[in-house]
Amino acid sequence: VTRSLLRFLLWLAPAHFRTRFGAEVLSVHDARRESGAGRRGRLAFDVREVAGLALTVARLRLGGSGTERERTMTTGGGNMLESTLQDLRFAGRTLRRNPGFTLAAVSVLGLGIGANTAIFSATNAFLFRPLPFGDAGRLVMLYETNPEFGWTDATAAPANVLDWREQVDAFADVAMYSTFVNRIPYVRDGEPELVGAINVTGNFFSVLGVKPEVGRGFDWDETWTGNDAVVVLSHAFWVSHHGASPDAVGKTLTFGNTTVEIVGVMPEGFDFPNPEADLWSPWGWDPANRQAAFFRRAHWVSPIARLKPGVTPERANTELQVVVDRLQKDFPETNRVMGAGLTPLRDFLVKDVRRPLGVLLGAVALLLLLACTNVANLMLVRASDRTREVALRFAMGARGRRILRQMLTEGLLLALLGGAVGLALGWVGVRAIARMQPIGITGATTLALDGRVVLFTVGVAVASGLLFGLAPALRATRGDLQGALKEGGRGGSAGRGTMRTVGMLVSVEVGLAVLLVVGAVLMVRTFWMLRSVDPGFRTEGVVAVQFGIPSARYEKRDQVLAFQDEFERRMEARPGITRVGLVNQLPLAGTSWSSQFQAEGWPPERVGFEILHRRTDAGYFEALDIPLVRGRMFGPDDGADTPPVVLINETFAREHFPGEDPIGQKIAYDRTAAANPEGSIWYEIIGIVGDQMQTSPAEPARAEAFENRDQDWGRGEWFVIRTAGSVASTVAVTRGVLHEMDPLIPLAAVRPIREVWRESMAQQAFILTLLGAFGAMALLLAAVGVYGVTAQAARKRTQEIGIRMALGAGASDVVGLMLRQGLAVVGLGLAAGLAVALLATRAIATFLYGVEPTDPATLVSVVALLAGVAAVASYVPARRATSVDPVTSLRAE
Amino acid sequence: MSLTPLTYEILLTLADEHRHGYGIIKEIEARSGSSSAPSTGALYLALQRMEADGMVAEAPRPKGDDDGRRRYYRITARGRADAEEESVRLAELVAVARAKRLLPEARV
Repeated sequence: VTRSLLRFLLWLAPAHFRTRFGAEVLSVHDARRESGAGRRGRLAFDVREVAGLALTVARLRLGGSGTERERTMTTGGGNMLESTLQDLRFAGRTLRRNPGFTLAAVSVLGLGIGANTAIFSATNAFLFRPLPFGDAGRLVMLYETNPEFGWTDATAAPANVLDWREQVDAFADVAMYSTFVNRIPYVRDGEPELVGAINVTGNFFSVLGVKPEVGRGFDWDETWTGNDAVVVLSHAFWVSHHGASPDAVGKTLTFGNTTVEIVGVMPEGFDFPNPEADLWSPWGWDPANRQAAFFRRAHWVSPIARLKPGVTPERANTELQVVVDRLQKDFPETNRVMGAGLTPLRDFLVKDVRRPLGVLLGAVALLLLLACTNVANLMLVRASDRTREVALRFAMGARGRRILRQMLTEGLLLALLGGAVGLALGWVGVRAIARMQPIGITGATTLALDGRVVLFTVGVAVASGLLFGLAPALRATRGDLQGALKEGGRGGSAGRGTMRTVGMLVSVEVGLAVLLVVGAVLMVRTFWMLRSVDPGFRTEGVVAVQFGIPSARYEKRDQVLAFQDEFERRMEARPGITRVGLVNQLPLAGTSWSSQFQAEGWPPERVGFEILHRRTDAGYFEALDIPLVRGRMFGPDDGADTPPVVLINETFAREHFPGEDPIGQKIAYDRTAAANPEGSIWYEIIGIVGDQMQTSPAEPARAEAFENRDQDWGRGEWFVIRTAGSVASTVAVTRGVLHEMDPLIPLAAVRPIREVWRESMAQQAFILTLLGAFGAMALLLAAVGVYGVTAQAARKRTQEIGIRMALGAGASDVVGLMLRQGLAVVGLGLAAGLAVALLATRAIATFLYGVEPTDPATLVSVVALLAGVAAVASYVPARRATSVDPVTSLRAE
Repeated sequence: MSLTPLTYEILLTLADEHRHGYGIIKEIEARSGSSSAPSTGALYLALQRMEADGMVAEAPRPKGDDDGRRRYYRITARGRADAEEESVRLAELVAVARAKRLLPEARV
């Protein structure tokens, strides 16, 4: 790109310079570039090279046969300032005199810059904001990998992490935390509420390098049971519950039967790993767990390590692999193929948002380019209108350099006005983005227009001012006085050269619009395809609610089940509510746990990998209209004392029991069950239910087993409520029932199933909305561009049209002539845009579903759409040209 | 009359050796750091004007360099005189600076 810009600038340079130095400039540039420093320096270097040559060309063009002896020394700096102010005043006057032009240019630029500001703020918040940790560059996230289970960055088993911590020399220390917030019931002044707790190891804060604002953090010893009755509060919780009093440290909090001591308060803004954290508390593990199988078999902790100073992530990873190999040999039962990896913390945190933000940044950059092209066109047309003014100023002795500066000042003033509008629009855009709350896009961070964003906006404005201001300015000040006066004499419309440039720019506009509109249409089609996927359950008229049953008052299994049964019974007795069921994890809201399994009678080496699990009752399937395909449902006779039963989904039956009848078969969730049947719990498959999408409509359902909640229970289940009423009335009913049963149990969460379904498509919806908006703007800008070029051409050819019509040409002939001219330019742009789109749409391939990035129907329809818009945009001015009375048009100047 | 800093730098660079454009830039970088090296465009603008003013002229390509795109430059008598004049001017300025204790070593 740099090289072609340099070539372009050389092409603008006077012939004597170009032939004498052109090849040399390029070869020296190449040599410098090759020997140059890192990538960061290269961009700055390229910018300097282009700017330097642009200035050189401008000086050569305008400075005449200058010498290299300095002149400005004698004129002094005060003069410079004064002339700049004069330029500004003049530019302001000029813009005020042409309100139509100014308004158009400023709003077009405002749109382009505003879109950039909004997307940049999001990028800024996620990718560039400093992490609130000490020396964050030394922090790496650890995770486990397993080719058999298809794990690439899974949470880890604590026993493995403890071994890494002790045996990998490159780690200064390794901490663990739970990603999920544990919502604990808490009674404050007689009112129940839920407090979000994050379980951590005692070295959590020291590994992150964050010091509490008040009090202390934890010690490593406090990881273990007996020392774990301590908590550290979040700043927000400290303010809301303790009035920010330093005396809070040393006080106790009581949760049911447990009392813990507050030992510290974190500084404001620290909310790792989850913004819903009210407090952090140690896990309180039993040291004996280290020898227990489950501590190495269950993978649920997130490990984070601090590297020793000077250690690279690569070296740490090499050392980690040595330990991983050793663990595979030492613990073949759990670790046979269990691998591990590490990623620098920042890369890990942004991995999900990097791609969508990259795509959106690319899209807004294209949009801004389109806006700049548009304004450049406006300026070119106007510059040719002003040829006479410029020629006059030349004739009166104005220096070329001064006039160039004047024109550039005008461009910059326009750009800054556009930047101001853009900042305002960007602010609106940022709020809109924040309101959309796209899952997986906005996370812990808050969106705001900070100093960096403002700086970015100003920078973009100035750069675009130069971009669209320089070419017209150079054109207007080419010292061809006679020609200018002559051309001006002919009637103030654009000259042939200008028209060619304008046509070229319109081609570019159309090409850019093709790119953006293709992206938007692909997303629209993706979204339609996603929405038409049957998720496998009813999405309307079902509300899910969640609450936890505290162990303090409901200690035993039977008490919990009785409470849940009674809740369902009372809810179903309410008007409008037809069925209530429970499940530990809602469909399309992620997965809860997974395992391997073996079926009775399988050879010991045959293992089924990665089946998902959920815990339900019969009501869940009925409330959500999930069909029982074969076999029977959980019944009243299946209980704690009867053999365990399980339902499987259709994918499970198809993948693991091809050509056989799964019903009646028994399965166990480990890989030693076939060899040692007595040592495992066997579940009898009693029925097959329809597939339900588990994570996204774009991903096919995976094999899943549904355990019976009468045999396998939990305290924090979701209740799905099939209701004829609204969400609000259902929630009110739920609160009422819960209050009747136990006024101290708060409702933890409410999620209408329809919302769950929609949120599973939130990322696509988010990208769709933004790309759609950008596509629409692009279409509008391109239409304006085409309209402008045809209108300008029509204006230029008024006399010709008059003559043709006077000689008997019909209006339709003339319109056809004008249309052909407009559409030739459009066709060029369409072809170029299409060619680039074929390559560029690959960038969004990962967000697409059910449609190929090069989908022919999409490409054809976009081309047709743009051609149609272009036809209308050029028909209007062409038609107008023919409606002028021939006599008038002949007289026109 | 004084020379622009870049003109002066180029004259200094060519004072003892013929160099091609890239060689001039490398010498300036080595002397004053890469951030103060001119852009390629600025270099050639200066060379073009210096050539027009008769301060530098093209020099024959030395044996051993068969890269046809490279052109070598040498300082002319006029250029040397200009550089000397500028050096004297700067030296006088530095003397004033030293007298007014603006040079670090003069502070001791």
